[in-house]
Amino acid sequence: MKTRKTGLVFFPAFDWAISPAHPEREERLLYTRDQLFEEGVMDLPQLLEFKPRAATKKDIARAHFCVPDIEAQATDAHLYAAGGALVLADALMKREIDNGFALVRPPGHHAMRIVHGNRGFCNINNEAIMVEYLRAKHGLRKVAVVDTDVHHGDGTQDIYYHDPDVLFISFHQDGRTLYPGSGFCDELGGPGAFGLNINIPLLPRTTDEGIHYILDNLVLPILDDFKPDLVVNSAGQDNHYTDPLADMRFTARGYAELNEKLAPHLAVLEGGYAIETALPYVNTGIILAMAGLDYSRVREPGYRPEDFRETPENMEYVKRLAESLRGVWNDRERLGKRAYPRLEKFEETGRSIYYDTDGIREQRRESARLCGECPGYQVIRSSGTGPDARTRTVEAVAVHGRACESCRAEALECYEGLKKSAIRPGAVYLQDKPRDRYFRFSADGEVEIGDD
Amino acid sequence: MIIGLDVGGTYTDAVLLDGGRVVMKNKAPTDDSRLLNSLINALDPLLENAGKENLERIVLSTTLITNLIATEGMDRAALVIIPGPGLQPDAFDYRVEDIFLLSGAVDYLGREIEPLNEKEIRTCAAEIGGRGIRDAAVVGKFSQRNNAHERRVAGILEEEVPGLRVVLGHRVTGRLNFPRRVYTSLLTLATRDKFRGFYSGILDLLEKKGITAPLYILKADGGTLAFDLAAEKPVETILSGPAAGVLGALALHPPGTTSVVVDIGGTTTDLSLILSGKPLLASRGARIGGRLTHVRSFAAGSTAVGGDSALRIEDGALKIMPYREGPAFCLGGPCPTPTDAMRTANLTELGDGRKAAAAMEMMGRRLGLDARRTADLVLVETVKRIAAAIEKMFSAWEEEPLYRIWELRQERNARPQNLVGIGAASPGLLPLLGKETGCGALIPPDADVANAVGAALARVNLRLTFHFDTERDFYFIEENGVQGRSADVDSLADAEDFSLRKLKGEGARIGVPGGSEPEIVYSEMFNMVRGGRTAGRLIDVCVQFPAGIIGRREGGDS
Repeated sequence: MKTRKTGLVFFPAFDWAISPAHPEREERLLYTRDQLFEEGVMDLPQLLEFKPRAATKKDIARAHFCVPDIEAQATDAHLYAAGGALVLADALMKREIDNGFALVRPPGHHAMRIVHGNRGFCNINNEAIMVEYLRAKHGLRKVAVVDTDVHHGDGTQDIYYHDPDVLFISFHQDGRTLYPGSGFCDELGGPGAFGLNINIPLLPRTTDEGIHYILDNLVLPILDDFKPDLVVNSAGQDNHYTDPLADMRFTARGYAELNEKLAPHLAVLEGGYAIETALPYVNTGIILAMAGLDYSRVREPGYRPEDFRETPENMEYVKRLAESLRGVWNDRERLGKRAYPRLEKFEETGRSIYYDTDGIREQRRESARLCGECPGYQVIRSSGTGPDARTRTVEAVAVHGRACESCRAEALECYEGLKKSAIRPGAVYLQDKPRDRYFRFSADGEVEIGDD
Repeated sequence: MIIGLDVGGTYTDAVLLDGGRVVMKNKAPTDDSRLLNSLINALDPLLENAGKENLERIVLSTTLITNLIATEGMDRAALVIIPGPGLQPDAFDYRVEDIFLLSGAVDYLGREIEPLNEKEIRTCAAEIGGRGIRDAAVVGKFSQRNNAHERRVAGILEEEVPGLRVVLGHRVTGRLNFPRRVYTSLLTLATRDKFRGFYSGILDLLEKKGITAPLYILKADGGTLAFDLAAEKPVETILSGPAAGVLGALALHPPGTTSVVVDIGGTTTDLSLILSGKPLLASRGARIGGRLTHVRSFAAGSTAVGGDSALRIEDGALKIMPYREGPAFCLGGPCPTPTDAMRTANLTELGDGRKAAAAMEMMGRRLGLDARRTADLVLVETVKRIAAAIEKMFSAWEEEPLYRIWELRQERNARPQNLVGIGAASPGLLPLLGKETGCGALIPPDADVANAVGAALARVNLRLTFHFDTERDFYFIEENGVQGRSADVDSLADAEDFSLRKLKGEGARIGVPGGSEPEIVYSEMFNMVRGGRTAGRLIDVCVQFPAGIIGRREGGDS
């Protein structure tokens, strides 16, 4: 019998930091390296280690509109982190591996569709780049992304908010108590994808017991129901009880079990800043669980199972939350029609987004084309104002990969129109996903974004 | 003058070098049961020729220790491990019956996270004593970062089991990878006595002959070491045979070029890479007996095809089998082989030409080809197989995981300029292989004794990898387990100075020749930040007197 294989890309970016004492610094995966190397996990026949490649501009353009351009937002570190996930995606599709873990930094799940700068330590969204690559190159259709980071995966939510083919589930510490302050139950998806964006805000100090209740009674049943072609774990590790930036009570054991149950095809590291007390153990646990190996000896120093029992009050909250969200899931079609009565051809929304790392305020107008035949397209206008009070404005047209020919034609016409009326020195972008082609128009003319 | 000796499985080769030139060579059959005799038979004519007073040194390379382990197995030894949290200790099979697991743990920064249990250790000692075991390896996870647990356990075992000989993991190697440290420690136990026995046998023999020239042994990383010092860590001399071949090829290939060393033997073809004049080292350590170890060695590739490979026709197609059934048909063997094809194509003068042609004809009949065309087909298939293995080796090197942006930016995409052929079947096949791969094919004049030449030309090398933890005022050296206080080291420059100083001191002790230039292989520093403040620095510095051959300084690696 063929040994089951788990692919691993380890890209600790030992020569990259946001700033010397920043949580995203060179040291972040150093002790994880020590632990994994000392354990010898890479020597196990179940593990196959891959070298990351640099993601191309086209890989990024499938997921993002970068302001003013991709070079400004994605450094080499970002390209290798995203490319690491792509290497595993290819290996999975070639059946060289059964599942894979991209243990890479910098992280990405706070990076939204439009990128004006760094938010929540992220510039480009590694999971979205991987999912778009899998759809464009390997013809996958239905994907589920489960975000297990303690912070709401607002970037991934934003990218797939209108996409009926991507189910996004994020459980996280309640947005009232933690960055980025979003991820509430009512953020359920756009008119064409209502109910496919599920947020599970958990109270601070939720333990293994509470999180596994949510997993067993909400996340897994929804996944069973959705039947995705691929499951992605957006694998943050900051629910850990020692994380300095959050306040949850999840353990290495809890994370390992989660990955065993969730059985993601691909996992991509996100946050997690208890670099000494959590990451070496959590990462070991996740890798063993994904490889189908015994992780029962993986435990933090001083770990005692009895310290991670839920309080009755919180367990009550968790149970009610799971129950009500199950209800929403089951009733999503009816609820969607009520939330978006589809009276117009376009659904217009507006929002304001803050970039904490770079101090940029983004104002965004979005208009989603509602089509009875296909997932349609969106037209976005976004202005980012930095601490220097300078504003950059861009406009973008994003055509869904399954857009019908008439929607696509309409979207292309819209793009041509925006090009004519473009506010200089801004830029206009087009994501023509049905043809897998990407364009950027600026004062310098139009450029197709290719594989470098 | 220098004598190089290579004790191979079939032949023992000896060469006498004068100023880097081969002045005499000799081959004698290896008799496994009387190894020292084989050695003397190979050596004697050279000794007479050189005159013992003119001998500078004798350098030995051998796969002997590896062979001894393979044939005799390891002596019974207890494996006492302190695995701490993490992987299940039985995830790797160490093939040892007497395994003892102890509680206790230290973490990646050498902090004790779980104390030892003395009672448990004494119970383990009683068990070891009771079973009459005389050797033990004590290995703890992260013991290189804090050896207190290993030392304490060894202390108790030695106290409770008089006469027990204990090997400590952190003394064997400080490189990260606990399973490999365990296995390398076991190999250290297994090789120690065998090496000493062999060593004293040779010493006696040379003494009887009145030879006073110092004796060196080649290590798997291509450097030599005085025989008595090698006895401290005989495991490093495992696989010195293949290393000798690479060094021999290095001496005979154009400086600074990229080459593949191709050693085509009876049933296997072994490959090594020389990249821009530097032999490529295995990034993961040598594989010995199917297990990865911490023994530094040259990267090796191999494919199961050679001059004696049995040939078959199956379902109307030619098959090269991974085994031999005897010598080539033209040499009186039972079945057709690539050597018969070479003979038929006039690429060798070995054996009986008519027999070779008959072998080809026999196969050709089933393929609808005449003898000559059959021979060509066999040669094409053989060469393709080797070319594929060469390609695979380069792509494996290209695909080696790297963990830093600057490393990834340096794209690896070298391809060989030359093939350097050593081994018996190389002269016939190498030109064809050169054509297939678009490389120059070099058959050095002394290719038949390349290993012995390589051994003779090898230099004393030394590599030390320092790990500093300034918060703990602590450093250790991976290669020898030395630990101490890091004193005034607070910057990368301090650490490099400190490491170079220690390297020079140790170099003088083991006889690195004067004039050798030490070099920094790599150095890297991490700030340890706790609560937004720098608590200390972790610094890794690797320094070395590089391996290489006399007359050329190319053995360095990175």
